[in-house]
Order: sequence, then C-alpha cells, then structure tokens
Amino acid sequence: MKKLIRITVLGFYSFTVVALLVILVKTGFSYYTTPIENRFFHDMHVSLKPSGFLGHGYGIVGTLFIILGVSLYMLRKRYRIFSRVGLLKYWLEFHIFLCTIGPILILFHTAFKFGGIVSISFWSMVAVFISGVLGRFIYNQIPRSIQGNEFTFEELQTQNLALSNQLKNKYQINDSLLNKIEKLVEVDSYKSISIPVLLPIIVKDFFLKRRLLKELKKNLTRHNIGNKEQKNILRLSSNKIVLVRRIGLLSVMQKVFNYWHIVHLPFALVMLIIMVIHVAITIVFGYRWIF
Amino acid sequence: MIFTLGFLGAISGQISPGELTTAHSNLEGMSNCTKCHEIGDKVHDDKCLDCHKEIKELVFLKKGYHSNKAVSSKNCIQCHSEHHGRNFQIVRFDESNFDHSKTGHKLSGKHTFLKCEKCHKGDFITNDELKKKPKTFLGLDKKCANCHTDFHKGELSNDCASCHNEESFRPAPGFDHNKAKYQLTGAHKTINCDKCHPVKGENENKVQSFTKTEFSQCTSCHEDIHKNKFGQNCTSCHSTTSFRKIVNKEDFDHSKTDFVLMGKHQKTDCRQCHVTSMTVRLRHDQCYNCHSDFHKGEMDRNGLRVDCIACHNEKGFIPSTYTLQQHNSIGFLLEGSHLAVPCEDCHKTNTEWKFDILSTRCIDCHKNVHGSSISSKFIGNDECIKCHTVESWDNVTFNHSTTDFILDGKHKNVACRQCHIKTTFSGKIIHLFKDLSSKCSTCHDDKHMGQFTEEGSTVCTNCHNTESWKIQNFDHGKTKFALTGKHENVTCSKCHKEVENEKGKFIKYKIESFKCADCHS
Repeated sequence: MKKLIRITVLGFYSFTVVALLVILVKTGFSYYTTPIENRFFHDMHVSLKPSGFLGHGYGIVGTLFIILGVSLYMLRKRYRIFSRVGLLKYWLEFHIFLCTIGPILILFHTAFKFGGIVSISFWSMVAVFISGVLGRFIYNQIPRSIQGNEFTFEELQTQNLALSNQLKNKYQINDSLLNKIEKLVEVDSYKSISIPVLLPIIVKDFFLKRRLLKELKKNLTRHNIGNKEQKNILRLSSNKIVLVRRIGLLSVMQKVFNYWHIVHLPFALVMLIIMVIHVAITIVFGYRWIF
Repeated sequence: MIFTLGFLGAISGQISPGELTTAHSNLEGMSNCTKCHEIGDKVHDDKCLDCHKEIKELVFLKKGYHSNKAVSSKNCIQCHSEHHGRNFQIVRFDESNFDHSKTGHKLSGKHTFLKCEKCHKGDFITNDELKKKPKTFLGLDKKCANCHTDFHKGELSNDCASCHNEESFRPAPGFDHNKAKYQLTGAHKTINCDKCHPVKGENENKVQSFTKTEFSQCTSCHEDIHKNKFGQNCTSCHSTTSFRKIVNKEDFDHSKTDFVLMGKHQKTDCRQCHVTSMTVRLRHDQCYNCHSDFHKGEMDRNGLRVDCIACHNEKGFIPSTYTLQQHNSIGFLLEGSHLAVPCEDCHKTNTEWKFDILSTRCIDCHKNVHGSSISSKFIGNDECIKCHTVESWDNVTFNHSTTDFILDGKHKNVACRQCHIKTTFSGKIIHLFKDLSSKCSTCHDDKHMGQFTEEGSTVCTNCHNTESWKIQNFDHGKTKFALTGKHENVTCSKCHKEVENEKGKFIKYKIESFKCADCHS
C-alpha cells in the first residue's frame, strides 16, 4: 500500500512537471520563438512578457515554489524538532519536485531572455538545479538506512558478508563460484581512486557490472542451477557488486558530497540574493503584478 | 571576496532587463534607470517627454500624431517599449495602413501611395536638431514647398494648393485662368497649358513660365501662316473657338489672297469653294480645282486637261469666250449660215452637249429632207454640198442641165420646189426628183380638158414652148380647117366659144363640124 502511495506521489510529481512544460510551451511557443526585437509586436506580448500578467505570474509562483521547496526541506533536515516529520527521502523528493517546477516557471517567466542581473540569478538557479540532479546521484552512491542515515564502513562490510553467506547458504553456491564473484569485485580495487577519475570509474563500472553478471550467468548455467535461482543469485550478485563499489568509493563519495554542498548551497544563495534584489527592483520600479 | 566583487560589478552593470535600443543606448547603466523609470510607478510619460521635447511641444500645441485623441490617451510605453535589444524598432507601425489623418495632415491623392520615407527624410526637415535623427517622422511642414521643389522658380505664389491638388501636379484644377490677365475662351480652354506655357530646360533646370508669357498678339503663340499678308489682327477673321471657324466673312478682303475674286466669283458663297473648311488651303490655279468639268473630259487634249479659262471666264459659263477664229482653227470653218447658228444647234443633242465632233459632214448635223427621192448620181452619199451651200439652204447650186430635163425658158425662173416638192391631198409633203416625170402634165394642168389628148398622151409642145404660154408652135393650117381669107383676121374666140360640160368650163378648140352655118347665121 505504502509502495502504491509512493508510486502515485512520484507519478503525480512527474506528470505535473511534464504537464506544466507542455502547457507552458503550448501557450507561448509562438511568442518565445519570436526574435526578441519583434516580441513587443506579438499578440501575446502583453500577457507573456516578464512583466505581463502570465509572465510575471510565472515568476512569482515559480519563486514561491522554490522558496517553499528549499525552506521546507531545510527545516526538516536541519531542525531537530522536524526530524520526525516524514522520511527525509520523501521531503527530498518533494524538494526536488518543487525545485523543478519552480525553475521551469521561472524559465518561462524570463521568456528565454537571459540578460542583466537577473540572468545571474537564473543561471545560478540552473546551476543549483543541475547540481541538485548531480547531488541526488551522489546521494544515492552513499548507502543509507531507511531513515536516511549513512551506514558506516563496518556496517556495509557486514552487509557484504551477509550477501556472501546468503549466496552460499541459500543458493548453495559452491566456494569456487563464490570465490569467482568475490574476485570479480574487491573493495580494495577502489582504494586508490581519486575524485577527478571518479566519474570515469563509475561509468566503467557500469559496463563492468554487466560483463560480470553475464559471466556469472554462464557459470551458473554450467553448474546446472535453475532459472529462478539464477535470477535471485544474479540479483544478489548485482547488489553485491554495487555494494562493493559503494563500500570501495564510500570515503571518496563522502568527500565529494561534502564538496557538493559547498557548490550547491552558494549557488542557491546567489540565486536567492539576486532574486531578492530582482524582486526588490521590480517592486521599486512599480511592477507589482496584480498587487 | 573576488566573487563578491564580481557579483557587485554584475549588479551595477546588468540590472537592466535587456539592452536599450540604439537611440537610447546612451541611457544604459544602473545610474540612468530613473531617467525613464519612476520609482514605484513604472514609466511615466513625463520622463519620456522631458527628453523628447519636440513631442512635448507638439502635444502642448495640440499638433501632430501624438495630439490625436486615440494616441494621446495612451502612455508612451504602450507604443514605444524598451529593453528589447539594440535593434528593436522603438518606432514601428504598419506603414501601409497608417492613418495619416491622425497626424493632423490627411493624405490624399498621390500622397496616399507614397512610401513614408519619400517625405520623412532629413532633406525635408528644417529643424537642425530633428534633422540629426535618422528615423524621425517629425519636423515636416505641411507646406507643399517643404518637400516639393518650386517648379515655378518663385514666379508664382507659394500657395501651391491654390492651383494644384494632391492628385496630380498636372493639371492644376484650382487655377482659374479667368483671374489671369489673359482670359481663356474657345479652344484655348481645352488645350494643354504647355502649348502656351512651354516647359523649357532639362531636369533640375526645367522651368515653365506662366507670368512672362506674351499674349498681346495672337502671333505671340501662333505662327502667322499668312506671312503677315492680312496684318496682325488675326481676330478680324479668326476666333478662339477654332482657327478654322472664320468670323466676319463678309468683311474679308479676298483680294489680299492669291486669288482675286472676279465676275461671278464675287457673288459666290464662300462655302461653294471652301467646302470643307475656310482655312483649308485651296488650289486655285486651274478652274477645275473647284469646278467640275462640265464637258467630262471632252476638252482634254493629248491626255492633258485644258482649263476652262480657254473658253469661259468669271462672267459666266455662258456665253463662252470661244472665238470664231478658234473654231475655224480646229478644222471646221464656220461660214455662211453657220455663222448665225447657235452653238447648241450643232453641239447639243437633246440635253447633252457634245463638242468633240470629228466629222464635218452636213448630214451629221442636218437631216436629209429629200430622203431617197434624189438619185445617188446627184446626191452621192448624203452629200448635201453637191446642191446646197452653207450660205443658204435655198441657194441651190445644182446644175439641172446634168439631168435629162434641161431647164430653159420660163422653167429657168421657176423655184425648184414648184416642180420637186408636192403636197398630197392628205397634206403630206413629198419630194420628187428622180421619180419626177419630164412630161408637162406632171407639173401643168390640161386647160383644154383633154381635147388634144391622143392615145392617152397630150403633147403640149405641139402648140406651146417653155418661153411663153402663147401658142407659138401652133399652125392653124395644119388643122382640118385652114384659115384663109377673112378668117385669118378673125379672133380665135369668134369661132372657139367657151363651153361647159361635166368637167367644167373650157374653150372648145376641137370643132367637129366646119359648116359655115355652124358659125355664121
């Protein structure tokens, strides 16, 4: 049931993002594809210009979404009193959702005119968005408990051992085959990995994992292991490979994640400050939308 | 620190939401925002008009496009937006559908088809400040001369519209020639101005003078085709209605022309000769230039026309001036009675005149009244001249002695017709020549009632001759009763008494009985 609710929520998030994009594009495609010099003479200019009813509205609503998405997630994450309100993972997803549709609305608020001080805010927003996507990936590379707390190296080694025992005892994988799996992936092989080569290693591992599992499947077939069992063994092996890689890269990833915070947060702050300046200037010059 | 400095630099340089147009590019920069923007109240027209004083002035004076209600009710920014890039057309409108009347100057005529830049260009802007603005629509004056060069080179008034309209420079419908020193009448009203006011020069030097046109004489414009033969007062014959319409025809002195009117020409209506137009040059060296050839070419000689003047003059077609000598020179001598014969007797048949008569034979004009009564031995082939002359018909030159009947005695004095022309009982006149008998009884009556007729024939010459009616050839001694004695002296009537019978009275010469008692008692 919980899984269904989760799928529904994620589906709603995805659908909303796609639907919003479709509506915004459909509404203003002709206007946004008109050269900037000619937009003033476009029928939709009055409405879709950044200070227009719709254009200005996109900006205000988008900004509110971002502020809401950031602040709620920040409150939940940083303040102990909110630590029991829902899983952090779900708040992160909600943060991602609001901070996806917010920038989209702001993108259409700019009417694809990226100039002036606001552009810094905009590009900062883009940087925050991209870094957010990247952060989400890095976040995934660091194994966590259901509560979202990071596992220690020892806890992960125990999990790895448990997987080996499961393969050995549950699926009667003989030692020679198990040794092969163990040899295929070794935690020590990631010891000398530095941050600059991290990305190539991850990409390389992706293909390595596929090759290893393919090789393992051949061995399992040779040992006359049934299909169902083969699947379970391969799943467990896959988890083991990923886990081994994550264990091997744990310290590096933790470092990267720390660095990521250094990047993600300042961009967010720059975006926020310039946005405030932008809004302030706008209000000062009398552009108050419907207010 | 570096980031902060860069950030502040970015703020100061790029607070603008977009580049200003080239025209406003001098207002770029954060410090200039309030030159256009009003704090707390977007963009005010006052700010715009603070710079655009020329517009402000026009609005104040309620002139120009921006003073039009439909325009002045809007804010500047509604039409002239900004921050759309350097190349943004801050002044843009549909030129082809622009309602120029909103500017206070309604376009009409040819002006409606002109491109804006034809008028709205620096060359026509007098204000030096506005002249510097390359795309301005301001600074034009409504006066025609603002854009149009003075074609008249200052010769006429500056108020072009008093004569011209916007449809076309030519013609000038507003111009009233009646108000000019020279009023147009007749055909002058319809001719092109250029005819009297010719355009001289080329391109920029082209000029058409109107006030300097000489008009005191018709010849100021018109060529005197008469070469001053009739003087300079053209209107004595011509009017402005048409050169070809002649006035005062009755006063026209034709003697000034090359054709002096004489005789009947003086009374002839002008139109008789000047049929199509009074001004069409007529040929007049030959009569037939006007007159039709009555003789239908009959008088032509060797294929060339002989002009009428050879036989006629202006006094009239009849009589002809053709002389006897001329007639005599052509091979038919007019003499005798022919001299008195009117021309038409010979040259007119019914109503047709004929002059080209090649024959000279009498019979071609005269009738052979004798018919076939005369022997061809004497008349030949209708050769009248054998007996007659042109002097007189009666003057017969026939030698009767060439016939079988020689005229002698009293016969010599007898008119021909006494013997040769008889009238029948029915009144018909008959000619007797060859059929005329030589017997005396043919012409003479038998007074003796046949007393001397023997065997059906009476020989008068037995007693009579042609000299006298007396009986010189009678010898009483050769009768049955020869006269002797006293009888010789007795008058004839003593014995030959007048008797009467059924034929009438007559003297009885043939006495049957010679007894004395028959006479004597």
